[in-house]
Amino acid sequence: MKWPTSVPIRQVALIFISSVLVLMSLIGGFALHEMRDISSNLTQSSEAAAKAELTTAVEKQSSRIKNQADLLARWDETRQQLVVPEYYVYWRDQRVYESGMLSRNAHIALYDQSDTILSSRTTKSGLPVKLPAGVSPHFPTSWLRNEAGVIVLYYAFPVYSDGRRLALIGHGLIRLNYMAELLNQNSFRFTDPASIKLALKPGASLPTDDLVENISLDARPNPEQIRFQNVFSRALLALLVLLVVTALLGFVAHNRLLVRPLRKLSEDIDAMRQGRFDPTPDQTSQIQVSELENIRRSLFDYQLQLRELHGSMEHQNREFRSQARHDVLTDCYNRRAYEEDWSRFREEIKTVPQGVAFLLFDCDRFKSINDTYGHEKGDRVLTLIADALVTALRANDRLYRLGGDEFAAILLRTTPAQARQIAQRCQSLLDAKKFSDLGINEPISISIGIAFCGADQTEHIDELPKQADIAMYTAKQPGRNRVALFGDDVERASQTLVASRETSAVFRALATPGMIEMHYQPIHGLPGLEIKYYEALARIRHHDTLIMPNEFLPVVSSRRLETGFDLAVLQQVDLDLSSKKLQPGIGVAINLTAQSISQPEIVSYLLELSRHNTRHPLMIEIAETSLITQVAEATTYLDLLRTAQYRIAMDDFGTGHSPLRYLADLPVDVIKFDISLIRKLEENNRASQVVTDFASMMISAGYSLTAEGVETETALRKVESLGFAHVQGFLLERPLPLDQLVILANDDKHGT
Amino acid sequence: MRPGIRASAEYLVGDRSKPAVLLLHGFLQTREFRTVATMGNSLHDAGYTVLLPTLSLNIPNRRQSLACEAIHHHSMEEDIAEIRRWVAWLKSRGHQRIVLFGHSFGSLQLLAYLNAHPDPAVKAYVGTSLIETRIASTSRHALIAQLKDRIQRKQTTLVTQNVSLCSRYTAPPEDLLSYVVWDQTRTLNAVKAVPVRMQLIMGDADQMIGRTWVKALQQVRAPMINVKGANHFMDAEHEFDLIDHTLGFLKTLPSSP
Repeated sequence: MKWPTSVPIRQVALIFISSVLVLMSLIGGFALHEMRDISSNLTQSSEAAAKAELTTAVEKQSSRIKNQADLLARWDETRQQLVVPEYYVYWRDQRVYESGMLSRNAHIALYDQSDTILSSRTTKSGLPVKLPAGVSPHFPTSWLRNEAGVIVLYYAFPVYSDGRRLALIGHGLIRLNYMAELLNQNSFRFTDPASIKLALKPGASLPTDDLVENISLDARPNPEQIRFQNVFSRALLALLVLLVVTALLGFVAHNRLLVRPLRKLSEDIDAMRQGRFDPTPDQTSQIQVSELENIRRSLFDYQLQLRELHGSMEHQNREFRSQARHDVLTDCYNRRAYEEDWSRFREEIKTVPQGVAFLLFDCDRFKSINDTYGHEKGDRVLTLIADALVTALRANDRLYRLGGDEFAAILLRTTPAQARQIAQRCQSLLDAKKFSDLGINEPISISIGIAFCGADQTEHIDELPKQADIAMYTAKQPGRNRVALFGDDVERASQTLVASRETSAVFRALATPGMIEMHYQPIHGLPGLEIKYYEALARIRHHDTLIMPNEFLPVVSSRRLETGFDLAVLQQVDLDLSSKKLQPGIGVAINLTAQSISQPEIVSYLLELSRHNTRHPLMIEIAETSLITQVAEATTYLDLLRTAQYRIAMDDFGTGHSPLRYLADLPVDVIKFDISLIRKLEENNRASQVVTDFASMMISAGYSLTAEGVETETALRKVESLGFAHVQGFLLERPLPLDQLVILANDDKHGT
Repeated sequence: MRPGIRASAEYLVGDRSKPAVLLLHGFLQTREFRTVATMGNSLHDAGYTVLLPTLSLNIPNRRQSLACEAIHHHSMEEDIAEIRRWVAWLKSRGHQRIVLFGHSFGSLQLLAYLNAHPDPAVKAYVGTSLIETRIASTSRHALIAQLKDRIQRKQTTLVTQNVSLCSRYTAPPEDLLSYVVWDQTRTLNAVKAVPVRMQLIMGDADQMIGRTWVKALQQVRAPMINVKGANHFMDAEHEFDLIDHTLGFLKTLPSSP
């Protein structure tokens, strides 16, 4: 059976009232049934009581008559009449009644020993002249007789002259109207006297012993019972009428006070739900039930508040949306806005073809700046960069901060030339910013990658971010112009494409042991060019292609993977040293980024690696180009490593920003002059002199100098003459894989 | 005494040397009446043979006091005859010295018997609370005349009359007349004519008899004891007075030869 999901309140009320009526009717019916049961029981009890009462009355009557007869039989005057009957009639008609020996309703006759009545002078007593034949001579005999509809009792008794009942002198016979006497002598409480009937035909006789069995009667109605039944019935009827009236009134009241208001309320709610909301409710249609009216008013108020709240929320949403689309730091659009706008642009551009340029900006060495000068200044740098870029962009162009120091701009309705011009304007305005006011002495620059999609190439619109990214990395290449337009030439494009491949390679190398392959370039001692060290140089073997550091290091740097990468390098060096393929006594120089020096896991691994120091003196090379942010901490770790017999070398000296500062603060043993400085030595100018003097000064200061990138004999002689302790370069040996290096070493050992 | 009517008496045998005492109850009473019953027991206790008859009043084996309103179909003559038969019965039992003791109307009936049938065996007479037949305010002469007239005219219809203690004494005229004729005069004459030793015992607080009656008895010089404070029935403590006086009288009688 399927039940309805909802029922109208009118039906609920009808069901409720009907249920109550049915229930009350059932209760009333049950009560009526019970009352009838009780009445029936009471009637039966009354009938039983009446029967018992009548039986008692009959017995009492019999006893009374018997007593009367006994008294008469023993009465002296009775005996007197049987002996001296001259005044028998007087005795019978007067004396016997005056003496109280016989009730007035009864009649008596005396019979002599011949059973003949003493006097035939009878009154209307109806007593027989001769004693009936059935009378026992010596015992009382009684019977009932219907005489013309009157039930008459005859009671015959013997009379003796002596107390010992030896001398029978006659009989007495009492006759009385039994029913009248019964009714007169007894008061009936339970029996209806008029109903007492004896089943005896006229003229017939009945022994008194059979009287009770042949008598019929009706119980007297119990007035209390009748009253109770009447009261109960009236009360039940009144209750029923009251219930019906109450139910009708309740239904009407329910309909008026609840159903109608609820329906009105429901209509109002439906109107609100369907938007047909009247903010000024009709006062005339006020609901008469205060609670419902309160609900209705509350709903109106609630709806009003909802409307106001809705308006407020819309405003706030706009605010939130605006805030959600803006970068808190730079106030330019954020990545969320970029993604939304870019998605929208891509759709628009398909319907309205136009030239679109995607500019990607990235601050050079921002992390180093941030780490060196702190986040606060880093944030200020970003703010100034954003200000400059926004100023440089056209009025309708939007600048997005994609994250960190990376910004982007989408230029609509433009050309490659205009995009490049805007990019250059960005560079110019940024260069004009005074970062020195922030205490930053290093130059702040940005690299800009541009990707363009012409109006006839809108199908390639999705590739613009990737192309701009490639162009941006191209722009970051050392010696490159800091603005690169994707597609300027094939070589740049291929390089940048490879860069993308290298990114993948770097991540795979970090996740896959063995992909990083160490090549070792000998570092020779001066003079004599004896190999003192091998500089361990990392390569990534990717699909049978060897990716060089200048290709993957930008990826490592830009992805902040220095620590992980250095850790992988150390693991590979550890494996190589553990293979004991390298000639003992020759040291190994390991390149580490400045960021790794401050990492406990790197230092911990270096300490573990120091176990090879006895076989291979170890040296750590830190690139001078990488800014050391936590100098004090780095100094502590470097001192620790020195106690583990590590030598500390500053690599690529001459290419960084503050070489002297680091030399002063850090515990450096060896300074490796960059190839750019070594090349200066071959020139005959002031630059060469500066480098020469600087080298002499470093040597004087106690530093051991190593010349990198020695590619000519001139340079070799020069550095040797200047007092460089070590030299390396393609002139002497290129970096080789370990296996080839072993073969080479063996060849040298065997004089080949 | 009519045929078929049996009378009964209580016979208490005592000392044969002492006279037998016949005790007769009062008007319409039986031998169960307290005064005679108590006296009978006391005399028997004192050694006397006692006979306590109940006059039948023409009722077979009468055991109950006869109501005043009953049909009194008996007469003084029948009462005397019944007393005579009881005296004869005593004599037949060998009692040759008999003392008659009566109470109230029984004293009168014994007195009437003594006057009618003097018997040598009867040696003495004790009459207590002796009373004549009283008929209240009715003129005795008129009543007697009326009754005689009825008798003469054979009118046997019952007559209701105030007799002694009964206000509605109902009896045939002849029977009623037999009692009514025993007025004070006849009674006093009978007292005077008692042929045996006699002792009257009267209570001076007897309200049932007139004051003149005691004086009248005294005038005829009847030996009489007045029991001070005693009423007609000599009850309460006067029972002992009655017994004492009776025994005292009996002791004065000559012993048997």
